[in-house]
Amino acid sequence: MTSLPRHLGQAFRMAAGELGMASAARLFVRELSQSGGDALVGEACDVLGREYPVLDFVAHRWIHGERESRLDPAPTVRALEGITRLLVVGLETDALDVFVSALPGVEIGLVAEPFGVEPDMRRVLANYHGVLQPVSLTEFRRWVGRRSALLTFVYGTDGHTAHVAATWLRVAGPDVRPQFRSLVGWDVLGEPMRLYPRWLVETNCNDFSALVGSIRRSTAAGPETHLPPS
Amino acid sequence: MTQAQFILSSVLLLALLLQAIFPSFRVLVVCAGAGIACLAATKLGVANTSRILAEVPWDVLIILVTLGLVSQLLAASRLFDRLALVATRVSGADPHRLTIVFAIAMYVVSGVVNNLTALVLVLPVLHVLLRLGGTNQRYVSWTLGVLLVACNLGGAATPIGDFPAILLLGRGSMTFGDYLANAAPATLVALAALLVVTAFVVRPARGMPRDPISAGIARAVMTALHRRISLDRRIFVPAAASLLLMIAAWLFLPSSLGIGPELICWLGASLALLLNRRLGEKLTRNGLEAEAVLFLLSLFVMVGAVRDTGLFELIARGLESLPISGAGQLFVFLLLAGVLTGLFSAGPSMAALLEVAASLAKRLPPSAVYVGLALSVCAGSSLFLTAATSGPLAQALTERADIRDADGRPLRFGFFDFLPTGLLGFAIIEATAIGYAAWVLSRVR
Repeated sequence: MTSLPRHLGQAFRMAAGELGMASAARLFVRELSQSGGDALVGEACDVLGREYPVLDFVAHRWIHGERESRLDPAPTVRALEGITRLLVVGLETDALDVFVSALPGVEIGLVAEPFGVEPDMRRVLANYHGVLQPVSLTEFRRWVGRRSALLTFVYGTDGHTAHVAATWLRVAGPDVRPQFRSLVGWDVLGEPMRLYPRWLVETNCNDFSALVGSIRRSTAAGPETHLPPS
Repeated sequence: MTQAQFILSSVLLLALLLQAIFPSFRVLVVCAGAGIACLAATKLGVANTSRILAEVPWDVLIILVTLGLVSQLLAASRLFDRLALVATRVSGADPHRLTIVFAIAMYVVSGVVNNLTALVLVLPVLHVLLRLGGTNQRYVSWTLGVLLVACNLGGAATPIGDFPAILLLGRGSMTFGDYLANAAPATLVALAALLVVTAFVVRPARGMPRDPISAGIARAVMTALHRRISLDRRIFVPAAASLLLMIAAWLFLPSSLGIGPELICWLGASLALLLNRRLGEKLTRNGLEAEAVLFLLSLFVMVGAVRDTGLFELIARGLESLPISGAGQLFVFLLLAGVLTGLFSAGPSMAALLEVAASLAKRLPPSAVYVGLALSVCAGSSLFLTAATSGPLAQALTERADIRDADGRPLRFGFFDFLPTGLLGFAIIEATAIGYAAWVLSRVR
């Protein structure tokens, strides 16, 4: 008999729709740990892991001592140096929060894919005080140009393939790639997931002009920077 | 009843019936009805179109439009996002408190902005909490139902909250201060009664276990969703200052100056929009509530055509000839107003019944008649989900939110899900309306 609320999966899906899967997973794991310690986090892994592999990944790392994951935007900012327009495909609020302010003067658009339930984009964008503009799939071509770039969030890579939101495949097709200066993937997990990556799709790492993984973890052994192959 | 009275009232009733049966075509139905009413009035020699249009209370439409624009400015300032977060913290995301706290929040918000805007601002936040905290059909039905009734009560509490009160203000039936002083306490009494019955008798969260894990997660997610949303003072300060100036002018400007509430609204809203130039221009171009304006304009045209036949005077005389006291006649009128509003919705009922109310107000204290009428219309608006425009909107927003119970079954908020709350809300508000009227009459005697 589990002590987890029965609707926790639905709650996670709702939160992930508006915060991003990795950001929501960190929040849920933190809260579950506060309520019931590692035992409850472990239960969440067992009960919800297969349905939500990103939550499983974050919970698993938490149980193994990785309590704080701070996203470092510096490698991503370096990969985007010199651009004037950036189209972000997918939503990860933890990453965007630290990243958007590091790109002053760059026009930034956001193509957010509905995950579960349509996110309240008005509220999502209100957190960025007008810096992010909503962009639909029909109008993203307005963003192409020699000083434009595409960025998406990657959920683990083995060096050959990377897991991304399905919208990425619709945006970054072979005809579109040459029209942007850079196609950057930002690995927000830093390692491949343990379970089948449900909700995500696979793409070839070679499709990215840069693939950066920038999670700096504080573990018992000390800080460590993990950069997957790019 | 003359032929003209029969034909024009039939056009009005048919249009009202059709718009109630086919709410998705309501604007089209009443627009067509208004055209037919004008044609019939002209051919029957009652009045031509120019005269009917000249009788339209344009001042009411101006108040409606300008207040709508100020509402949108306040919404753009993120004021209500902050309030949503405060409501979440106060309720602790606990289902037992959530219903009460959000009903009070809705009452406050809908007293300041129109009901539809209030609903669009508050309901999605509650949907998020319902999805995060876990819920069941009974809880959803009662919580959303009580929220809708509170929305109607808030709209009736102030002269700027909803159309019936705006109509009273615009037509000079009551002053701003008089309406506020009489209606706000009465609606507060009704809200308190509704919440007490809901909390102690209905108990929507009955059977739902207190779940600290869900509550903690719901609070954390809500905080994360609003993590960097702050009040935009550049928008809020001018908008709030303009609104305060408008309220001060409504309250204190002597009527001998000839500056009516519609002109105060016009100037106040212009000031608020000018002080936010870019957003102001954008809202003025795209933010007008054309649907509401067209709907009400068409209703006014149809009601105006019927009025020109003298039918309302006939009804008023019929009411006066009832073999009961003046107080009894008022109570019958208020009850009738509530039921008619339930069937035909607030706008049409108020527009038609105000003509009869004006006749009653000549013999009885105006505040008893007009505030009683506003409360009865509020009661009727709360009777069925289809009685107020906010009902179908709440239904659509809830369907879109895809709320499910713990077993994954989708939860509804349809006509019959709302009905128990509607009946309770109607009974409480109608009783408050009649009780209030009786209290005013007893003080006069």
